[in-house]
Amino acid sequence: MIYAMLVFWILTALLIVKERRAIRIILYFGAFSFITAICFFLLGSPDVAMAEAAISTFATIFFVICVEKYTNLQIDEAEKASDRQEDKKPLTYHLKKFLPPLGFTVFLCALFIHFLPDNTVNTFLKDQYVERFAFDVGGENAVTAIYLGYRVYDTLFEALILVITVVAVSHMSWFDKTSVADGRRSDIQRSGMAVFTIRIIAPILLLFGVYLIMNGHISPGGGFQGGVAIASFFICRYMIYNIYDISIDKIIRAEKAVFVVAALIAVAAIFLGVWARVPAAYLDLYQGTYLLIMNALIGVKVACTFIVLFYRFVAIERL
Amino acid sequence: MNFDIIELFCIAMFFIAFFGLITSKSMIKSVVFMSLMEMAVIMFFLSIGFRSGLFAPIGVNMNPDYVADPLPQALMITAIIIGLSVTAVTLTMLMTLFRKHNTTDWEIVKKKSAE
Repeated sequence: MIYAMLVFWILTALLIVKERRAIRIILYFGAFSFITAICFFLLGSPDVAMAEAAISTFATIFFVICVEKYTNLQIDEAEKASDRQEDKKPLTYHLKKFLPPLGFTVFLCALFIHFLPDNTVNTFLKDQYVERFAFDVGGENAVTAIYLGYRVYDTLFEALILVITVVAVSHMSWFDKTSVADGRRSDIQRSGMAVFTIRIIAPILLLFGVYLIMNGHISPGGGFQGGVAIASFFICRYMIYNIYDISIDKIIRAEKAVFVVAALIAVAAIFLGVWARVPAAYLDLYQGTYLLIMNALIGVKVACTFIVLFYRFVAIERL
Repeated sequence: MNFDIIELFCIAMFFIAFFGLITSKSMIKSVVFMSLMEMAVIMFFLSIGFRSGLFAPIGVNMNPDYVADPLPQALMITAIIIGLSVTAVTLTMLMTLFRKHNTTDWEIVKKKSAE
């Protein structure tokens, strides 16, 4: 099963290499992300598969906004211009053009495979984590236990990188203000059937996001996946009301506040040793509360970041 | 040298995307290929130490011999979220470059910025 999926995976990538129409590249990219999510699931990691499935919708939306506004939908203009010149050239010209990069790639690939270490993996850390996570951190999901307990520094710095992303997107854009003119109607044409369907789906999506966050420590899911689901609820809200009435500045401020609170809680709980001083009778309650609060904070953080990115793309970059 | 087949697939994918990245003329294709390279790396990390028949690491009193490795999974969730951030930032840069030079062709942009 996994090998068949991997063959499809490679085929989709080859299609993207060959394709020249920008809109088709994005469609193939969506198919590629879907196959990747299935492969992750077959590799025994439902958490990563869920994150990938949720993230690919956002990536596709960003690409569609970019391509729809900035290139010709039928054929990518860059490829079209070079096609006209090169169709008349002989075969040796094409060979001369494509052989050096191909040879370079094959050389790098051979070098990589030659220096790849053997497949013998040291499983000491895996054994320790799988056996002890329920006692050390709590919950029933080993992945959540690692990213909120053993390796909470990684999660904090990842949250910091999300803040940096928002700053970078605001700074590098051609539009020099952070926020959008509030209350302006958008000029996107809406189809009535789509709006009707989204009206039914949107509350279920919000409920699903909250469910993923609340059950992150005992089932697949968690703060990251739930946060992305909540952010996609705001996409639906935009599609229904068709208006930019959310203040981006306020969301960025809330995001920073949530990040500071999450960092303080994590430092107080793990690095200052509050964990070790809790009496054994209350340890379960304490661990459950810690995991729930941290998952909720990370979920709000991720949701804020992606709401900001989506509204910037749909409101400013489309202008 | 002793290889897993899944790892070979991931390496092939990485270098297909690399080839596409260095030969593509359009900027949008370059951004797509960056995402593809990142997916290949994530799949490579998840497939380390994997063999068929392993379960997801969720439950109580699990035997480590029958469970997939949770450590790369926890690290790769953050890598996926950061991958979308990278895509968003690169697309913003692409749009700014388009507004400046009015094209998505690498060659024309190179010529214009050299002048």
